[in-house]
Amino acid sequence: MELPPCVVDCGTGYTKIGYAGNTEPQFIMPSCIAIREWAGVGDQAQRRLVKGVEDLDFYIGDEAAEKPNYATKWPIRHGMVEDWDLMEKFMEQIIFKYLRAEPEDHSFLMAVLALAASWTSRQVGERTLTGVVIDSGDGVTHAIPVAEGYVIGSCIKHIPIAGRDITFFIQQLLRDREAGIPPEQSLETAKAIKERYCYICPDIVKEFSKFDSDPGKWIKQYHGVNAVTKTDFNVDVGYERFLGPEIFFHPEFANPDFMQPISDIVDEVIQSCPIDVRRPLYKNIVLSGGSTMFRDFGRRVQRDLKRVVDARLKFSEELSGGRLKPKPMEVQVVTHHMQRYAVWFGGSMLASTPEFSQVCHSKKDYDEIGPSICRHNPVFGIMS
Amino acid sequence: MILLEINNRIIEETLSLKFDGASNGNKPEGLDVTFADFDGVLYHISNPNGEKTKVMVSISLKFYKELQEHGADELLKRIYGDFLVSTEDGYNVSLLYDLDALPANKEEVIHQAGMLKRNCFASVFEKYFKFQEEGKEGEERAVVHYRDDESMYLEAKKDRVTVVFSTVFKDDDDVIIGKVFMQEFKEGRRASHTAPQVLFSHREPPLELKDTDAAVGDNIGYITFVLFPRHTNANARDNTINLIHTFRDYLHYHIKCSKAYIHTRMRAKTSEFLKVLNRARPDAEKKEMKTMSGKTFSR
Repeated sequence: MELPPCVVDCGTGYTKIGYAGNTEPQFIMPSCIAIREWAGVGDQAQRRLVKGVEDLDFYIGDEAAEKPNYATKWPIRHGMVEDWDLMEKFMEQIIFKYLRAEPEDHSFLMAVLALAASWTSRQVGERTLTGVVIDSGDGVTHAIPVAEGYVIGSCIKHIPIAGRDITFFIQQLLRDREAGIPPEQSLETAKAIKERYCYICPDIVKEFSKFDSDPGKWIKQYHGVNAVTKTDFNVDVGYERFLGPEIFFHPEFANPDFMQPISDIVDEVIQSCPIDVRRPLYKNIVLSGGSTMFRDFGRRVQRDLKRVVDARLKFSEELSGGRLKPKPMEVQVVTHHMQRYAVWFGGSMLASTPEFSQVCHSKKDYDEIGPSICRHNPVFGIMS
Repeated sequence: MILLEINNRIIEETLSLKFDGASNGNKPEGLDVTFADFDGVLYHISNPNGEKTKVMVSISLKFYKELQEHGADELLKRIYGDFLVSTEDGYNVSLLYDLDALPANKEEVIHQAGMLKRNCFASVFEKYFKFQEEGKEGEERAVVHYRDDESMYLEAKKDRVTVVFSTVFKDDDDVIIGKVFMQEFKEGRRASHTAPQVLFSHREPPLELKDTDAAVGDNIGYITFVLFPRHTNANARDNTINLIHTFRDYLHYHIKCSKAYIHTRMRAKTSEFLKVLNRARPDAEKKEMKTMSGKTFSR
């Protein structure tokens, strides 16, 4: 039996790792690393030069959370690696401690933003490789169009609203209103509330009145424990439930520089693509990533997008004086139960195909050609 | 992490999850996971015959036949008792856990399941440690081809047990880093007199193996451990086996960590050089220039 390839998806917030061929990652851990930091002189790069085996003294993921003499760092910001020293260490432990894989024996698939997204655009059952992927994780959200398996790189758009921004926003709302939350725990409390109680509403005004008219039904309670004093504290969860995720559609609530709702961005992305793929793109919009898991996220995107598209079609009809009647555009947002780990799952499926070993690059190729071999991916030439 | 872990976390976490779910009374979900471990070992955790209340953990080792010759089956029967069942197709050992009849000592059972690979290896060591204890010399050398072109040789004498690892360095840089590492490792007895004696030979097999077909090559290294009774007696035996059976992986892990550390130093040096370069850039001074007709201008 052949050794299965390893699939690693390093995101801003969480890293998903496992072996190809499985439906779920074997480990999901926060993308953080706890190292011993010396308050010494010199810049960061100098301070990392240590003696003996001290460079191996670190923890990653969940183990990094509460270590008293260690400083927790997050090497990946907004989807991109910012600190390569820490990233290398992170990978050391992932490979040797968690996966227990000898790098010389296994192929590795590292999920890079857009490429993995294109694989998740495969509908379960039918294999269509054309669609738009809305990938929203902890650090960054992208809308990525894929046509016939080819990622249209020039049309990718980034949205600076993602999981972390929603958490911050909820934290601010809670801070203004609730007094009981211990300050060091306010971010984790906001995060827990976001994951447990938030949802997307069809109309904020109606939602406000729903909450005001029947608070008992809509306002929830969150119980937390103060880590230091060990006492309980209770938090009322009210408008945050729908206002948090609403910043996808009203970014101006959280970000003064960015005003476009996500549905507009998706529309722009599709309009910037070649005209012949636009209909198929509208028909197959796939969600992926933890921040797309809010209840009714798909329905709201579909509704808002359809409004924009219908308005434009109506406008063009009017402009032509009623002579041209455009065929109504079908807008469909696909949700599926693999959403949370869609990227990892896509990688796992991709790596378990027999063609995968042919498209892998070896260290020899890298030494010979350089980093540019990773820029071009022949994968989708074979998969058709 | 200086020493590699001995247990397999994926097995432990998967079983923990299933056991906890069952003891909370949740209906178990289907399970089918395939994953790997060091040295080409494959595991498969699944529900046999689709019965969601039974969890089967199977392991496949390419060299299991050789381990069987040295009593692996008996040792596994001793440790796993009734959990050991007839092997799944394509694998070498299978354990079956019944979620409806959870064992009382859950933690211990899960821990032993995580040590499945180690327990498969353990039989060879225990056999030869016993030979040494009983003073039996002249027994045949044990050879375990635990990787495609790497083997482990075990021999027992009256007062010691020698374990020789042969390893291949696939990358030329690895050869150099490996040699330096082994140089320091050999001197382990300076730090602690309880450490076993270690010898390292690059290219050629050591004298103990001179009559075998052990390979010779630029990228081959041989590491010999001489274990004394203090390491092989009943008290220290388990710990010794834990540490020694993953030695080859430990060596290559440290070689890779050394490379990562070298990268860190390279980055630090590069940023230092960049700083020096930036300081050295001359300022764009305002230079007074004169043309032939006498007009002056400054650039």
